[in-house]
Amino acid sequence: MTDHKAFPTQEIGSLPKFSWRTKPFRQQPLEEGDIAVARAWGRMLGVKNLESLLRLLKKRSGFTDEERRRIVEFSMLYAIAMQEKAGEHLREPGLDLVWSGEQARTEMYETPVSNIKGFEFLGRVRSFDNKYWREASVRRKPAYLRDYHLDEFLYTKSHARRRPKIPVTDAITIVAWSDHYYYTRKWGRRSLAPAAKRFSARREMTLELAGVIRRVVRDLLRRGAREIQLDSPAATQYQTVEDAKLVAESFNETTRGLDGTFSLHSCFPPKYGYGILFPHLLEAKNCSRFSFEYANRDGYAVGVDDGRRVGYEDLKLFRDYGYEKELGVGVVHVHTDRLPTLAAVRDRILYAQKVTDLPPEKIFVNPDCGLRTRSPEVAYEMLGLVAAGADEAREALAGN
Amino acid sequence: MHWQDILRPFTTSVKGVKKGAMVRWFNTNTFYFTPVVAGELLSDGSAVSRTFNPSLVKSGAITKVILPDPLTFVELAENSYYTSRERLIFAYCDNVLRPEVEHLSRMGIGYVQFSAPGVVARFRGKPLPRAELEQAGEGLRTVLKGVKVRSGYHTFFGDAAPYLPALFDLIPTDDIGFDFTETDPASLGSGEGLIAGVADARSSYVESAGELALRMGGLGEKFRKITLAPSCDLQYVPRSVADAKLRNLAAARLRLIGK
Repeated sequence: MTDHKAFPTQEIGSLPKFSWRTKPFRQQPLEEGDIAVARAWGRMLGVKNLESLLRLLKKRSGFTDEERRRIVEFSMLYAIAMQEKAGEHLREPGLDLVWSGEQARTEMYETPVSNIKGFEFLGRVRSFDNKYWREASVRRKPAYLRDYHLDEFLYTKSHARRRPKIPVTDAITIVAWSDHYYYTRKWGRRSLAPAAKRFSARREMTLELAGVIRRVVRDLLRRGAREIQLDSPAATQYQTVEDAKLVAESFNETTRGLDGTFSLHSCFPPKYGYGILFPHLLEAKNCSRFSFEYANRDGYAVGVDDGRRVGYEDLKLFRDYGYEKELGVGVVHVHTDRLPTLAAVRDRILYAQKVTDLPPEKIFVNPDCGLRTRSPEVAYEMLGLVAAGADEAREALAGN
Repeated sequence: MHWQDILRPFTTSVKGVKKGAMVRWFNTNTFYFTPVVAGELLSDGSAVSRTFNPSLVKSGAITKVILPDPLTFVELAENSYYTSRERLIFAYCDNVLRPEVEHLSRMGIGYVQFSAPGVVARFRGKPLPRAELEQAGEGLRTVLKGVKVRSGYHTFFGDAAPYLPALFDLIPTDDIGFDFTETDPASLGSGEGLIAGVADARSSYVESAGELALRMGGLGEKFRKITLAPSCDLQYVPRSVADAKLRNLAAARLRLIGK
């Protein structure tokens, strides 16, 4: 769905969780500082019924399930408000596409896997630095259990003033981050080369999971969702041609027969970049927007020439393959507290438009990836840069 | 160990290297910061040792340190200083690995393993030129000359068969290692020291001691010294699974030596 505005903006992934959101779930008592943070941010963001939250938090510990549910709902309100107020000094602050910033989820893997039949959790595995995920092993054929994002979406929809979106972790990622026990055993008996056995196990698991996720997406669409973002950070994990084709096949299987606006987000490929997915990725015919991370690989200098925008080199792939739909362009690197200048963000956006030759209405602007590893202060500044950078790029374009 | 990825001691503590983009580590869900080589490489030898507690070395057991092999470093680095990959290989060996290994040896480290996924996990089968393997071998000879440590060179994430017997002929380490989930043990031939990566470190399935021993086939008669090992780092499975795999490796050893 093309916006009529140049360089529309969107949140792309998670937002940090405040301590008052996480401690009640870890059985840790809240301290005065946690409540003070809730008060200060709540006032700044103009959160409605703030006093009701503060009264609840003053209980400090021993929260009931119902009270914790209310805390999560307030946390979603904070996340939505952070996006809708980002760049508050602007004439038109805020992002155009918003969601609840993963506040209602443990994280993007554990929540879906906990709500699909067939998985058993094994333990924590490190991803990078001190970040871990709780890996599960697939022990039986996966089956639908419930729409694990419906409540979160309905809450977001009823409280967001901007257009809501809902990210859904795709089958490729759940497979890549899981142990494939059931499928490995099944394919292990076949007379195939080891790599072929592994791929066959992956493919079968991916397509069966895509069927489960399609049901989740279908339910969301029936309840009013229009913008579904399939999150595929693992799209570049397995790097064979067959795996690149499987990314598109999985996308098509997940969205088959459904009517909505579907996009795909990926990030942090190996050193070869996103080129390893091309041209096969473009077979994801239902995908109206590919949103990738680029700022991570870019310099901080101002300018719109190739030498200054090295991180955005891969955007040329879309131009070279004649792609005409929308793109989401990451303009803020999320694994550092170092902020780019507003001028650098503006130029990243202008460069993206220049090299893809797409109309500016088709270039969405977003952070590279989820902001959950940043502090709320840094995350809010980064969202502000997204909003303000797009605003500056619009002005620059109008001035030309 | 306090480092966050195998390249981090070098991206943060070696002169001439800057920390670049966060990039996926081969076909895993782990990541590293790209070493950007922007000047002459120079290490004072303490880049690695400052990342771990020295009391570990005094525990009585042989302490092993794992370092990126020259070809993996060159494959993953972004080089804007040296005029060729060959020069970067030798600079990394002479100016980084040599002082690091010397320092580790002085600390009492007994074993240094050079991890070499970059040799065999070739993007879509693009072969590694034999000349680069020769250069790595020559560079490692300089690194290890006169240093009192045992050494290994472990390949994983890919099939090493296309580089046999060259790996045994060219790489000067005491042991050469293979990921048995990728490399058919029947292709190994014979030699001196072998690291047999028999336990699948990327699967939660815990092989029994019998299964692990069976994977050795008749290799016991073809190599003088064999170390049973996981196929690659155990960080890809949860800790409880990793511990169980190590226990069964030890049990497989006893079974193989007839105890």
